Amino acid sequence: MKRLFCAIAIFLGAGAVSAQSLSDVTGAAIDAHILPRFERLATDAQQLANVAQDNCDAASPALRAAYGTAFDAWVGVSHLRFGPTEHDDRAFALAFWPDSRGVTPRSLLSLIADEDPIGLDADAYADVSIAARGFYALEFLLYDDAALAAGDAAYRCALVQTVTADIAALASAIDADWRGTYAADMRAPSQTGHYRTQEEAAQELFKAVSTGLEFLGDTRLGRPLGTFDRPRPTRAEVWRSGRSAHHVALSLAAIGELAQILAAGDAQVSDVVADGFARAQARVAQLDDPVFAGVTDPSGRFAIEVLKQSIDAIRATVRNDLGPKLGVVAGFNALDGD
Amino acid sequence: MTRNYLLSTALGLCIATPALAVEQADVLTTYADIAAANYDDARITAVALQSAVDALIADPSAEALQAAKTAWLAARVPYQQTEVFRFGNAIVDDWEGKVNAWPLDEGLIDYVDLSYGGATDENHFAALNVVASPAFTLSGTEVDASAITPELLAETLHEADGVESNVATGYHAIEFLLWGQDLNGHGAGAGSRPWTDYAAGEDCTGGNCDRRAAYLKAATDLLVSDLEWMAAQWVEGGDARAALSETDATGISAILTGMGSLSYGEQAGERMRLGLMLNDPEEEHDCFSDNTHNSHYYDGLGIQNVYLGEYIRVDGTLVTGPSLSDLVAETDAALDAEVQSKLATTMLALGRIKSTAEAGFAYDQMLERGNAGGEALIMGGVNGLIDQTRSFERVVAALGVDQIAFEGSDSLDAPEAVFK
Repeated sequence: MKRLFCAIAIFLGAGAVSAQSLSDVTGAAIDAHILPRFERLATDAQQLANVAQDNCDAASPALRAAYGTAFDAWVGVSHLRFGPTEHDDRAFALAFWPDSRGVTPRSLLSLIADEDPIGLDADAYADVSIAARGFYALEFLLYDDAALAAGDAAYRCALVQTVTADIAALASAIDADWRGTYAADMRAPSQTGHYRTQEEAAQELFKAVSTGLEFLGDTRLGRPLGTFDRPRPTRAEVWRSGRSAHHVALSLAAIGELAQILAAGDAQVSDVVADGFARAQARVAQLDDPVFAGVTDPSGRFAIEVLKQSIDAIRATVRNDLGPKLGVVAGFNALDGD
Repeated sequence: MTRNYLLSTALGLCIATPALAVEQADVLTTYADIAAANYDDARITAVALQSAVDALIADPSAEALQAAKTAWLAARVPYQQTEVFRFGNAIVDDWEGKVNAWPLDEGLIDYVDLSYGGATDENHFAALNVVASPAFTLSGTEVDASAITPELLAETLHEADGVESNVATGYHAIEFLLWGQDLNGHGAGAGSRPWTDYAAGEDCTGGNCDRRAAYLKAATDLLVSDLEWMAAQWVEGGDARAALSETDATGISAILTGMGSLSYGEQAGERMRLGLMLNDPEEEHDCFSDNTHNSHYYDGLGIQNVYLGEYIRVDGTLVTGPSLSDLVAETDAALDAEVQSKLATTMLALGRIKSTAEAGFAYDQMLERGNAGGEALIMGGVNGLIDQTRSFERVVAALGVDQIAFEGSDSLDAPEAVFK
């Protein structure tokens, strides 16, 4: 076994960056990518909660605009699933999707039907099923025909206020944890810390890129694509509010920004990564199909499959060029398993 | 191949490395021996279940139904331990859905309570009820289900309409046919299907008792034949064993992939944490029988088995040999101690869930909204599983089994890309 270890050590020695520059890369990712994006999420989520306090009517243009802005900020960090987002299930509570068992409608409609008092208490709401919390539940409350017609309008209105206040509290807690200790711990790995070495910290960031791309390709695009014989347009992400393709563009931009930071210092890898993301972005821009309704007809489907292929191509680039550049491999992620 | 070339070059450069006591090939042999014994035990206990089902159908009674349930519970003990072989071995992962698919929309199979609802956005056949329907239309095709056969289940009904929750075969379909729906929500108690659902003539409850019996028989026969097939893949000369030893490095990474993917994404995530976060009493792996505490426990034990290179068969025989633990210890003794300690911590946490459930506080009760004790029990298991996965990643780095064979297995599909 030690023989193989030698082979790897030689291989990494030739291509991988030093611990010092890994530390620079991690620092840049924290300062230029992670912290500003979580701060933006906390600000926009608080703004959403404020707007809902003033006007909780689901059809309100101001409320829907604030929902869109805050949701954009979430999608821009949705690949950063480690540390503060995973504490107390915060990210799960902000973003429960996909919902293959229809738990979000079931949970919300039962709260509304029962006029469950927990729906009126933003603090207590943290005990509610994650399916009834966060942005995807809010989309259902603002845009689903069944939810808009269900139960008592005043209760629904109050529930919107509760859900948005809960979102703001979650976003604020994540932001506070990043600024509090997590960023510092990630910058300075130690034998007793969460990250023992610079390589482990860099691997976490690398996994955010590779897992984010996997989710983008296999879930955000793969779910509505289904199979040629059985496309699944209603499995597209947030199709009710017409944001499916918009999320793909936002996520590509966010993951691309992080990948670019990780590639810094190696012009060749940096160029290949930039090309890959630019190509995929161009394909989203050309799509003109906001909810991937085109999966059901051959020409529309082809355009979406081409987009997915361009994301798969970035995944290969990341694995084959960016990973060796950093000297790390993908490791395990939450999408392993069925 | 590029990889071999590089390895032999590296061998030349590292010629001073001392001879090693633990050979990778021997570790892989132990792993395959455990898999062979484990799947054979799953087969043996499924055959016992088959006999109990035959007896129930021949002479229905409360005692015969209970005997079949007992046999099912016993059959789960070895099977769950095999789950560690799933994600690292494509031959297992491709096959697994036939025997252990979950969760299921049980209304596909038989009658359900009104509270279950009907067809859903995701699944138009969620309430098909094959037991009551000798003919129906599926994706535009007329299906003749007048005879319920293993072929009908496996080839037509299973994953019907491309929906994964249309589970027509395997342990959980059988579990539903033995226990019925658990309608107790977060309260005490499992499914309580009356034995008269299998009674003849006027005593029959739930309607179509003969067709229900035919379904149970077909599903059980299919389970036995599927397990026979898998057990055969792991004996000397079997395909699964052969695939493992194509190269030593891919074999070792298959072991670690199975351990990590089962621990983290599957068990800690999909099966445990998700159910807790959803507070849904149906979000438990063995939801009809309330046997979930055992499913989780034996999944965890399977992971420990392959790391330590030890498996105790259902007849008490010990299967053992050179292990991954030995291999790690040779490279980094402290890391081996860390992994062993984390595996033990996880088993203790899963053991607490099991012992508490056996004392009367069932897994679905632990999932209830605001139940702090249940949450602490389940999160203990989740945290142990996540934490041990981090140590598995350190093993990957220490052994240099670069580009681990994740599900989807990009690195195995394009090994030249790894060492280009």
